[in-house]
Amino acid sequence: MTAAEVRTQPAAPASPAWTGAPGIRLVWLHLRSRRVPGAVLALAVCGGVLRAALHWHWTFTSGFLAQQFPMIIGGGAAAVVAMTTHSPFGEPERATGRWLPYLRLGTALAMTGMAIGVLQLAVTGASLNGGIFTLARNVIGITGIGLLASLVTGGLLAWILPMAYVAFAQYALLEAWRNPWTWPVRPPDDRGAWICAAVVFAAGLAAFTVRGARTAPADS
Amino acid sequence: MSAVALSRPARVLRIEIRRSVVPWSVPLILALFFFDSYRTAAGFPPNWTVHASAITDNLAWDFAPFAAGLGAWVASREGRRNTGDLLATTARPAWARQAAALGATLFWLLLTFLAAVAALYIQVALQATWGGPPLWPVVVGAVQVVTLAVLGFTAGALFPGRFTAPLAAIGAFLLVFIGFHAALNLTPDSSTNALLSPATGLPLEDVGVFYHVAPDVAIAQVMFMGGITVALLGVLVVAPVFRVRGGLSGAVGRAGRPLCAAGVVLLAAGVAASWTAFALTGTAKLGVSGWDIPALHDAASDQPIPYTPDCAGTAFPVCVHPAFSGYLPAAAAALQPVAAELKGLPGAPVRAEEVPAGEGVRAAQGMLLPGMASPGVSGTPPVYHYDGNNGIAPFLGSPAGADNARWRAGFQQELLTEFIAGPPNAGPRPDASVLPPTAAQQAVITALMTVAGSQAQFGEDMTNGHPTAGATPAQIDAAAQRFASLSTAARHAWLAAHLPALRVGEITLAQLP
Repeated sequence: MTAAEVRTQPAAPASPAWTGAPGIRLVWLHLRSRRVPGAVLALAVCGGVLRAALHWHWTFTSGFLAQQFPMIIGGGAAAVVAMTTHSPFGEPERATGRWLPYLRLGTALAMTGMAIGVLQLAVTGASLNGGIFTLARNVIGITGIGLLASLVTGGLLAWILPMAYVAFAQYALLEAWRNPWTWPVRPPDDRGAWICAAVVFAAGLAAFTVRGARTAPADS
Repeated sequence: MSAVALSRPARVLRIEIRRSVVPWSVPLILALFFFDSYRTAAGFPPNWTVHASAITDNLAWDFAPFAAGLGAWVASREGRRNTGDLLATTARPAWARQAAALGATLFWLLLTFLAAVAALYIQVALQATWGGPPLWPVVVGAVQVVTLAVLGFTAGALFPGRFTAPLAAIGAFLLVFIGFHAALNLTPDSSTNALLSPATGLPLEDVGVFYHVAPDVAIAQVMFMGGITVALLGVLVVAPVFRVRGGLSGAVGRAGRPLCAAGVVLLAAGVAASWTAFALTGTAKLGVSGWDIPALHDAASDQPIPYTPDCAGTAFPVCVHPAFSGYLPAAAAALQPVAAELKGLPGAPVRAEEVPAGEGVRAAQGMLLPGMASPGVSGTPPVYHYDGNNGIAPFLGSPAGADNARWRAGFQQELLTEFIAGPPNAGPRPDASVLPPTAAQQAVITALMTVAGSQAQFGEDMTNGHPTAGATPAQIDAAAQRFASLSTAARHAWLAAHLPALRVGEITLAQLP
């Protein structure tokens, strides 16, 4: 061995080259930066808890109180989706290209769909009061609240407002409120409730797509 | 020197309090408190104990997700910002940093909680005419908030991911819900889990008025939740040991033997306290003062609380417990006219007195209290005993709100039903539901209420497609109008002659004059 060999380090082996389309790599990196794999795991936990509650009768099986447990789980799934809005790169990421809004839009839509799908899978074969449509409406509407909250608080604290809405919906359920904007307490086929939930989701999705979540968490 | 040493933790705590994220959530918590707890409690009777139930029922919903979620958020700060290694090199140990962060979180949560309790108690203080603020529900509620916050904090410290905070919030929500579910399904045979839950169903309107509420269950709940809190603190103290490489003995040496010992002692003490509380709650029995735990029970709390009733009227005195004196004008105005119609009949009551409600929810659960006066007309001279928990005219909500025609009619109907039809009878149907008065009894009650200027509120009860009472509401109303159109003397004379037969159900609708 000579000194030259020591001074001149051999080049590190290159990481395995990405063999797929660059677009797919971009999407995958975006999803990883938003901790989507962890979010899917968290959604699975929510689904598992819902399944366990239905199986072991932790919840009411009939009457208006039977809606409480699925509502809380739906709120939790929506909060998890809202948490995926946080970017670890902050402001510099916004200067990286024109694809970011599309990635935000796609991620939010895919995560909302996945939340509904996971919860649907969890209740398959079990008797769910109100059915999957009520659960889906709750996830859609509360996710919209979470997306709107992420613009103000940042993604990491975007769970607070959805939790507050779920707590308020509990009260609305017990008091038999009938306003469409308290959609978790309305019947599955209530048109006004669907419109309200969809409008909130659309507003949250549009605002989040255009602006993105606040980059600095509120407690920084 | 010691002053400087003492001031450092206080200064760190002050910085944590000033920079805490909890105050940003306080407006949301207070908004929830206003809608959920405050407005709900406004519909309660002016009874301190009933109002205090909102602390452990409604306030728990309002605080649970925020206490656990914010606790987890604060605890995961070092992991979230990847400053764990950096802070590990500082002189201050990890538990000291965590204690300051947890202390600041608890400071804001408890401050908000106590402000909410103060608002609830001021609300009832402006209405109550008897009694004082119970403190055990406040202690139980505060310990519940602390336990949920420490639970979330521990989760955040052990698993500092971005999803820990919302999952902790949801977990706390579900814990409260499962406790509420257990409390509503409370039965004498499966009471342990239900009694350990601070949540309860809405208590009877006069709970804590005629008898003290024994603090036994509250003590057990505090011991149970406090034990969990202490055990979690032990876990927080011991946790850093398992993060140090080099074997358990080496890790203990580096973390400090006294600290590890303290953590293990905390963990063991917490588990022991919780287990003891669980075992004690399993021995609970229902008594006049609520659920009694023999090992914690003070027999003095079983004695009735002495009081002087508030009464109104001279010909037919109507008396209420002073806690419900706000309802006295409405109760007297309701009962005087029908009492005048009954005056002189055999067994007619000469006065009305309020007695403790021993039925209602507890009767439905098969847990009737022994040795308590039951509602109805009894004694010599006959006295009409009523409770504030009757189904159609309860002492519920603001006394001013109860003084309306519908409430007065319900109050009158209770007296007339007890006098004309006697105590409720369970029917032969599988559900053993209470039978309505017979058609003739309903007609007489309706007629007497019509004469008194009120309208009876009988529903149509059906059995196998036929009216359980033996006649349709239209037929009963027609008979009632016929009977009401008689002169007072004729009505009185007929009742005096036929009342025993009417009471036992031997009079048919056609036999009414």
